[in-house]
Amino acid sequence: MQRVSLTSRMILLMLASLVGAAQPPNELTPYDVQAAYLNNFGKFIQWPPDPASSTEPISIRILGQDYFGKKLDNLIADETIQGRRIVARRLASATDSDNCHILFIGLSEEAHLREDLAALQKKPILTVSALPGFLDRGGMIQFVLQNKRVRFAVNLPAAEKTGIALSSELLKVAVYVNPASAQGDKE
Amino acid sequence: MNLLPRQRSIAARLTWMNFLVSGIALMLVYVSLLAYNLYSFRESAIESLSSEAQIIGANSGSAITFDDPSSAETALSALSHSNDVVAAAIYTQGGVKFAQYPANGTVNLEPRPLPNAETLAYWGSGADVVIGSRIVLQGKPIGTVYLSAHLQAMRRRALRYSAIAGATLALCLGVAMLVGSVFRRILAQPLVAFAQTARLVSRYRDYSLRFTPGQSYDELSSLTEAFNEMLSEIQQRDKALETAKAELELRVEERTAQLQAANRELEAFSYTVAHDLRGPLQTISNVCFLIQATEQGEPSEERSSMLEQLRSSVTSMSHMINDLLDLSRSTSAPLHRKPVDLSHMASSILESLSETTPNRHVETIIEPKCQVNADPGLMQIVLQNLLRNSWKFTGRRDVARIEFGCTHRGKASVFFVRDNGAGFDQGYADRLFKPFQRLHASSEFPGIGIGLATVRRILTRHGGSVWAEGEIDAGATFFFTLDSFTSPLVEPSMSGPHRL
Repeated sequence: MQRVSLTSRMILLMLASLVGAAQPPNELTPYDVQAAYLNNFGKFIQWPPDPASSTEPISIRILGQDYFGKKLDNLIADETIQGRRIVARRLASATDSDNCHILFIGLSEEAHLREDLAALQKKPILTVSALPGFLDRGGMIQFVLQNKRVRFAVNLPAAEKTGIALSSELLKVAVYVNPASAQGDKE
Repeated sequence: MNLLPRQRSIAARLTWMNFLVSGIALMLVYVSLLAYNLYSFRESAIESLSSEAQIIGANSGSAITFDDPSSAETALSALSHSNDVVAAAIYTQGGVKFAQYPANGTVNLEPRPLPNAETLAYWGSGADVVIGSRIVLQGKPIGTVYLSAHLQAMRRRALRYSAIAGATLALCLGVAMLVGSVFRRILAQPLVAFAQTARLVSRYRDYSLRFTPGQSYDELSSLTEAFNEMLSEIQQRDKALETAKAELELRVEERTAQLQAANRELEAFSYTVAHDLRGPLQTISNVCFLIQATEQGEPSEERSSMLEQLRSSVTSMSHMINDLLDLSRSTSAPLHRKPVDLSHMASSILESLSETTPNRHVETIIEPKCQVNADPGLMQIVLQNLLRNSWKFTGRRDVARIEFGCTHRGKASVFFVRDNGAGFDQGYADRLFKPFQRLHASSEFPGIGIGLATVRRILTRHGGSVWAEGEIDAGATFFFTLDSFTSPLVEPSMSGPHRL
């Protein structure tokens, strides 16, 4: 197990208490943190209004290899965003993105990233990934490791193009907002 | 401190009372206003601090969610604009400190549990307040913001209020003094003037004085009215008394004059009678002498006894007439005071007495140089009467003793004539000095009883007095003074048993 900073352990502890999962803090990995963040992004995002699906659950989908497994499902079990439940699904292809709100693109998708993002063109789907250079390639949020803590960078123009509004709160805690400068510790 | 000074004027007391009352009222208003003001100020300060805490909480939601303490500290640093906030901290829902303000300081701000349903709570008293605000994200509590504030403005406010209250109190004192001076003019001054009038009235007994109050119709004016009425009443009575007294005096004078006139008439009458009686008496005496002288041959024993009896009666009657004339002169003759040696006078009287009755043996003791300032003629009558009395009443003693002397009682000289004669009953001492009153039968001791009355009149005219002490068969002492000295032992005119 890696040494995790005190603050990280605290926030993970908090997250653990939030979801009510009985997970010992020393078992938290960066993936656990990413899972929690994936869930939390929705709280700071405004999707373009869609009367047809305004009561539908917020849908988080995972493309490619799933690092989160059961933990993500446990996290979202009790969560609501603007009164809507959250559901998580695993996708085989980026084209299967109907009714999707947040899409996590796994590291395994590196090869197909260009096609994946092209398939999502203009759709109001928040794209998140830990792939290096994700923002440069048109992604919206990229996880980075900074001082051994999971942080994220934001490609604001990419999000705005699809009509997704990121709250200033979210931008405030992002390490980078400008896509051109989206860099971080390489994993 | 004495709250109500006793030794001050009414005006001062009123001023003091005024000040006290308004001061207390002001203090109450000040305290309640300050309390209300501070309370409401504190409430509004807490409210604004609460909204600050809520804003910070809202701005820290993402920081907590995405584990970014520096972002939260940036949010907290906005508090630097608030003068009151001393410290602040954000705790996660799990009770772990997430961020603090000031960022580098040592903040000792322990998390306190908020009441379950509340998103906002505050603790503390006075100027020190701790505010806790729950941070809620999408309906879920994720942490708490705590602000610790010291409301400096409250102290400033209290000070400012105190200053205002002090200034108002001073102003109030000024107004109270002003009102006091007004009171002095409208209430105390008339009172003082009133008291002065009363004092003048009582000092000079001038009941014609009146107090004239100002144009006010209050208790004071009714008081002065009553006072003035009382004065006029007294004045009236005074006048009535004065009139009655004058009338009485006039009447007394009249009566005195009448009495004096009657007395003078009586005296003149008795003097005339006594004087006129001497002529025929002298004739009788002369005829008696002629009868005896022209007797031829041996007169019969019977005749000569009858003639002797006649001559003795004539002598006795002549004495009586002399006494009466003395008595009359003692009241009517004018006083001519000059130094008199009573000792010398007494010894010459006793000498002449012993010449008239050479067969008697009388021991005389005379204190020398008893000087007085009195009418010599009248004093001669006094001593003659007293010594003659003693001579007469010691007639039955084998060894008679007559003493003249002087003692002192206080400042006054008291002269006395003492004998060891027949004496008298002390119970009747006052009767001795009344004319024609006798304690002894005239067969026993001859006399008509006006000698001592004459003595008393003379001494009274000199401003003195006379009294006697005696005991039956144990002698008598007659005291007299020429000054206005009254014996503390015996009042000459007093009746009743003598007290010694």
